Amino acid sequence: MPSEAVGRRPEGWGQAGVASANGRPTGAPAIDGLAAGRVLHPGSAAQVADALADAVSQGLAVAPLGGGTALALGNVPDRLDLALSTAALGDVIAYEPGDLVLSVGAGARLADVQALLAEHGQELPFEAPRGDRATIGGLVATAIAGPRRLANGTLRDLLIGIAVAHPSGTVTRAGGMVVKNVTGFDLPRLYHGSLGTLGVIVSANFKVVPAPRHEATVLAVTPDLAAALAAAKSVGGLASRPGALEVMLDGEGWTVAARFFGRPGTVDSAVAAAKGVLGEGTRRLEGAASTAWWRRYVDGQAIEVGPDEVMVRAAVRPRDSGSLAEAILGVIGEHGVTSRAVSVSPGLGTVVARLGFPQAPDGAPALRRVQRALLGVADHVTILAAPPAWKAGLDVWGEPPATLDVMRALKSQFDPERTLNRGRFAGHI
Amino acid sequence: MDQTTLVARLEAVVGPTGVFHRPADLLVYEYDGSVDGAVDTARPAAVVLPTSAEQVAAVVRIANEAELPVVARGAGTGLSGGAVAQRGGIIVSLSRMDRILDVDRDDRTALVEPGVINLELSEHTLPGGHFFAPDPSSQKACTIGGNVAENAGGPHCLKYGVTTNHVLGLEVVLPDGRIVWLGGRAAHTPGYDLTAALVGSEGMLGIVTKALVRLTPAPEATLVLLAAFGDIDGASQAVSSVIAAGVLPAALEMMDALTIQAVEPAYHAGYPLDAGAVLLIELDGATDEVRETGEEVAALCAAAGATAVRAATAKAERDLLWKGRKMALAAMGRLAPNYYLHDTVVPRSKLPITLRRVGEVAREFDIPIANVFHAGDGNLHPLMLFDRRERGAVERVLAASNELLHFCVSPEIGGALSGEHGIGTEKRDHITLVYTADDLAAMAGVKNAFDPRLTFNPEKLFPKGYMCGEVRALRAQALAQKHGIYAF
Repeated sequence: MPSEAVGRRPEGWGQAGVASANGRPTGAPAIDGLAAGRVLHPGSAAQVADALADAVSQGLAVAPLGGGTALALGNVPDRLDLALSTAALGDVIAYEPGDLVLSVGAGARLADVQALLAEHGQELPFEAPRGDRATIGGLVATAIAGPRRLANGTLRDLLIGIAVAHPSGTVTRAGGMVVKNVTGFDLPRLYHGSLGTLGVIVSANFKVVPAPRHEATVLAVTPDLAAALAAAKSVGGLASRPGALEVMLDGEGWTVAARFFGRPGTVDSAVAAAKGVLGEGTRRLEGAASTAWWRRYVDGQAIEVGPDEVMVRAAVRPRDSGSLAEAILGVIGEHGVTSRAVSVSPGLGTVVARLGFPQAPDGAPALRRVQRALLGVADHVTILAAPPAWKAGLDVWGEPPATLDVMRALKSQFDPERTLNRGRFAGHI
Repeated sequence: MDQTTLVARLEAVVGPTGVFHRPADLLVYEYDGSVDGAVDTARPAAVVLPTSAEQVAAVVRIANEAELPVVARGAGTGLSGGAVAQRGGIIVSLSRMDRILDVDRDDRTALVEPGVINLELSEHTLPGGHFFAPDPSSQKACTIGGNVAENAGGPHCLKYGVTTNHVLGLEVVLPDGRIVWLGGRAAHTPGYDLTAALVGSEGMLGIVTKALVRLTPAPEATLVLLAAFGDIDGASQAVSSVIAAGVLPAALEMMDALTIQAVEPAYHAGYPLDAGAVLLIELDGATDEVRETGEEVAALCAAAGATAVRAATAKAERDLLWKGRKMALAAMGRLAPNYYLHDTVVPRSKLPITLRRVGEVAREFDIPIANVFHAGDGNLHPLMLFDRRERGAVERVLAASNELLHFCVSPEIGGALSGEHGIGTEKRDHITLVYTADDLAAMAGVKNAFDPRLTFNPEKLFPKGYMCGEVRALRAQALAQKHGIYAF
């Protein structure tokens, strides 16, 4: 099969277009209120490496910048002088539909990548908020993933190779363009979720999959959380396993949403089975309507907040999802905050909540108390976004693990001067 | 520390039955699963068989005091020398830590000790409707700990992914003797994904003492298709057609004429003896989906020139078709006393040209080569057949293998050095074919962060003479000269 689109930059791809959180183009972006003095748009991996080496020699602190859709994630930077944008690194480097592999520049936008794959009936079985702006490099660095994680994992599971520019001025590669590879340490997966603190991802290779032929979603509204979780558990246990299964606070009640993929006949029988479990009053969304519903839902989990708002994510073992959700509702009640959105992923053991803080503008003490309370009911708690002044002094990643010293050693091997995203990652690495 | 003191110290931790130190007892530990001569052998000072993480940690601390290397070992089925104590020292055999500690059907996880045999975990969980998806060919003997160390694969990785996709957390003894957990039952552990670093690290970063692995629900229906072709090209064409049609089989395996001739008389799996190649295509999922997809795949095979297509749904029938594939290595004994199993991966579209090159190499080096491999993901396993008693045979096989390796990783093919066997000592000097000095420096950085004294499994993965500790990993080099070359 001929190689497709190699070196091609489809219309509108990866052109300079750094956008701020509100979507307006901007020159130098700010992270938690700290403005980067300058933003560079290097056009090659070598240029990213050179820019990093320069930054080291000048003692500058650097933040890598993709689509700017997750700038609120992480601790308040210790310092920020320079943003390194991947906007000019958005090319398709290689796409072999017959091999089910793809290599793209870090600045490629998720929606553009999916559109290219769709031309060949393929996809990354993955979604993320603001896919029209979120970049591949940013998504790998932040480990953001949507509800399809239930059946398909995250980009971690799809990564087969990576190229990274380091503060030493070098560009290194690991993995390759084949779907199985145990040549050397598995660096691609180590970079996944490292928040750009070990290097700037300049390109990434993925295995892709045939796009499902059809999809449908069943929505059921229940009066309370317990009923919703029980219903979700039954759906999750069906032989026709859902590709995504979420429980969300929706106005007065709780909605269970189950998404099914496959051949039309398979989807039909899965939906029928789900309806059988969920009872009367379910709604079925077919094909494009189902896709659109999930896009809206995922976009609702964009990592950004208003001036009186905090977004948190808590995780426990999946079987304890129900008690976690109940406990979080308890914490919300006790600390005088309001729940604006709550999403439970029962198969994953995570809850994402958008909380309103009436204590604003001075929400810092309340956030501190809420974080402590949440850490008491969950294994891991991440404050995904909060007003910068409230985050100051907190580690938004919660309690660092016992291996923090190994993590610090890794950081000092890759970025001894702490040039990259200084202070933003777990343990203020 | 002298040998007597060392043995006494180790026995104090694991008891006298947990330490081997006499030459005769150490002999088997000088080898792994590879054929004599393929990887270097070496004798450890002692082999220790701990029964708990605390014992492993105590052994590591003794080794540190004695300034001895530590090499973890599972069942010793590896083929790249990973479990051989190249520089002597202490082998920590995890074979006595073989308990399945917990199976959680709700969370779909199993917590196991590293010495649990791969197949036993699936056999243990299957009655409840789950299995452990990675299924290396050695699954009747190999251990989960070894699977984690090598990031093992297997036929069903095509659909289900390799070991790293199924590991949620690890209890690990670090080179400083601490016991820590990486990852765990809950998602989103803060900080770097150290679990990811550990899987596939060939025992160089930590010793796994517990693994929390994902269990996969058994599919509602499974169908195995056997498709016979006149030649390998036809079979390769069918592989491409299946993938292009948007079908992702659970497994897609190819066997060539030589393999069929070894396997069929021995196991009567039902492979046509006159076929040039057969494909085993397994489909699984919902019953209707599997039936419809099966019909589609059968038609695609026919269109690609299949001379016969047979479908098996009943378990006994499926198992028989698979038996030929799984016993292929054993059956090679009918053709030659020894075989060397080669492991590389090429992009699927490069299979036909690569297989033609395999044929040429067989003729050039006068070595019969049987092909039995994971066609769906391009993971080749040419089996080079020889008799090692014949003078120069091993050298000839290694030279042929070297030739193939160079071909597979050449820029026009773009393959990988190893798909599932690991680098170990076998391919350490080849790693520079695919990675630059800078690439290796990044890997050395990981090694230095976990194991600054370089005591865990030395002489593996990095080329001979490579000094991890002296790589000032990714330190700033040419900083000053580069200005003004990028656009603002």
